[in-house]
Amino acid sequence: MSSEINGQVSPQPCPHLLDFRSRNGFKPFRAFQDLIRVKRPGGLPAIRREISEVPRCCTCEESSRSRLYACVACAAVFCYAPPLHSHASAHALSNPGHEIAIDVDRAELFCCTCRDQVYDRDFDAAVVFAQTVTITATTSTSGCTVMQCNIAGFQPENLRKRRRVDNRPCSPDSREHVIIGNHLFSLHDATNASLISSTEIPWGLRGLNNLGNTCFMNSVLQALLHTPPLRSYFLRDRHHRYYCQQKNGAINGTKSSRLCLACDMEAMFSAVFSGDRTPYSPAKFLYSWWQHSANLASYEQQDAHEFFISMLDGIHEKVAKEKRKSQSPGSGDCCSAHRVFSGILRSDVMCIVCGFTSTTYDPCVDISLDLEPNQGVSGKSSSAKSHNSCNVEADCMGSNQNSGISTLKGCLERFTRAEKLGSDQKFFCQKCEVRQESLKQMSIRKLPLVSCFHIKRFEHSSIQKMSRKVDRYLQFPFSLDMAPYLSSSILRSRFGNRILPFDGDEQDASNELSSEFELFAIVTHTGRLDAGHYVTYLRLSNQWYKCDDAWITRVNESIVLAAQGYMMFYVQKVLSYKASEKQAAS
Amino acid sequence: MKHSVNRPPTPDGAEDQGKEPTLQEIINIKLIESGEKERLMELLRERLIECGWKDEMKALCRAYIKKKGRNNVTMDDLVHLITPKGRASIPDSIKTELLQRISSFLTSAAL
Repeated sequence: MSSEINGQVSPQPCPHLLDFRSRNGFKPFRAFQDLIRVKRPGGLPAIRREISEVPRCCTCEESSRSRLYACVACAAVFCYAPPLHSHASAHALSNPGHEIAIDVDRAELFCCTCRDQVYDRDFDAAVVFAQTVTITATTSTSGCTVMQCNIAGFQPENLRKRRRVDNRPCSPDSREHVIIGNHLFSLHDATNASLISSTEIPWGLRGLNNLGNTCFMNSVLQALLHTPPLRSYFLRDRHHRYYCQQKNGAINGTKSSRLCLACDMEAMFSAVFSGDRTPYSPAKFLYSWWQHSANLASYEQQDAHEFFISMLDGIHEKVAKEKRKSQSPGSGDCCSAHRVFSGILRSDVMCIVCGFTSTTYDPCVDISLDLEPNQGVSGKSSSAKSHNSCNVEADCMGSNQNSGISTLKGCLERFTRAEKLGSDQKFFCQKCEVRQESLKQMSIRKLPLVSCFHIKRFEHSSIQKMSRKVDRYLQFPFSLDMAPYLSSSILRSRFGNRILPFDGDEQDASNELSSEFELFAIVTHTGRLDAGHYVTYLRLSNQWYKCDDAWITRVNESIVLAAQGYMMFYVQKVLSYKASEKQAAS
Repeated sequence: MKHSVNRPPTPDGAEDQGKEPTLQEIINIKLIESGEKERLMELLRERLIECGWKDEMKALCRAYIKKKGRNNVTMDDLVHLITPKGRASIPDSIKTELLQRISSFLTSAAL
């Protein structure tokens, strides 16, 4: 019943719609285009002859039915509330050719005989056009000037210039082929061994010694050491300490700065992937990082996320100085850290009075998510009734049993939800020229190669002079599709449930970075805020390994799923290493 | 016949012309004409999203579709599935709030 175009599922029309189109073409839809009204700023389109018309069923004269449909063939409005009041069905039954109707409150097509929503490209295009006209009159873009907001941001993402990751394919010559062949070994696929012997531990897995409450650093480092694009970058010598200009003092002619976090990172990669299994002490790296973030230099326990941010910042600062060109923020061209982690967030703030929307784009290296309890509806006082009706189809409620558990998807949904800003946070609307209450919505304009999700478990209140940790369990998936959180999806949802005009026109090549991600590392925290411990779980060759400072053990995935996630690292699926990958010369 | 599509069919002559609008009808019309209905809908949407009701309904639909298969479910099926549960699971606080708003509207509209 549906076909796929470039991964977008496009529903096939039902026979009645096909029949209608073949007989009447597009004209009836065009006639309805003039009747599309948007009743409030940011609202969905409705079908009305005048803006304040009260539509009513022409058979029973009722206007307070929940669903009213306008027949596309004769424009008569009928109610649809089977089994009692369904004059739309009766109309369709007695008038062949009048099966297709439009929901007057949502401007969506419905087939009264098939009893299902149907989709028509031309109709949806007409509605989107009519709705867009009202939006463009009130939209502006401020902030980052590199990105232009067209028609409420509806330019398909792929038509803009995309920043590509500079990964050229390796093409060895015959001499190199021989060398490769001589040094070939296969990455062992450790699926059936019950004991880990030294030959079966995956390459690059090495413990990190705790140098005094440095588990916050060790845990993040373990995750970064196994971040596929970062690993490729450093192991391919894209940054090497022997050639680093920054460290060798070639920049600014000063010899004073011999410090480069990227060099220390590279040294660590070399050491960890050398094949030596004894635990490594990242003392040099720690020292360099202390010099960079002097305010965090102490033997006290630090926050792993804070370390992560300051480390990326450190790599960026040193490396970006080498390249003297101005980069657009969020493109990731500046340094290896940003190339891997940098994405772009889009923020839309809409005035609820006039609909004027202000859009800004900001680069980000991670997404911090609030961990709020899922307010399960069945927990409310009316639960007695709801439980009775819910038990009838208990098997359909598999996923609903978890209504009390927080999930990563739930957090992301909350993150991208349109939120009404409080009356104390009124936003200055350029059109109304006064502060108004507004609606804010976040979405992801550009996905990074690696998404880091930081769960806000540590709350610091300067007012109450107290900090506390949120221990609440968060459920997270091994595979994550980020499509629903992209700006294109979020914007799409503002137009209601329909096919959009440019679906299917997007070229495959320009959509090379998909939205599917795989989990490869998770940094967990156990204990209290002031006395706790960080541990990282790594996923290599589809096996999970627990990295607790110097101790590495293979663990079952159930252990990982039960852990308290603090930072989750997801990599684009196309970049993740599969279970039985073997390197071979072509 | 250029605009024939936009014209509803001629009303049936046998229709009862002297039908009195019910109270429900009158209230509905007043709500729509003053724009209050749209505001109430907006408020209700906001509240239902906040409390997780929308997510719960969505999850129900997803589970049902997963069970029956994507191509074997119609919109009507979904509406019939979630209507009774949806109605029953609306938190009392939301009901109270909306009823309060409607009642103050009725007072101010002198009905």
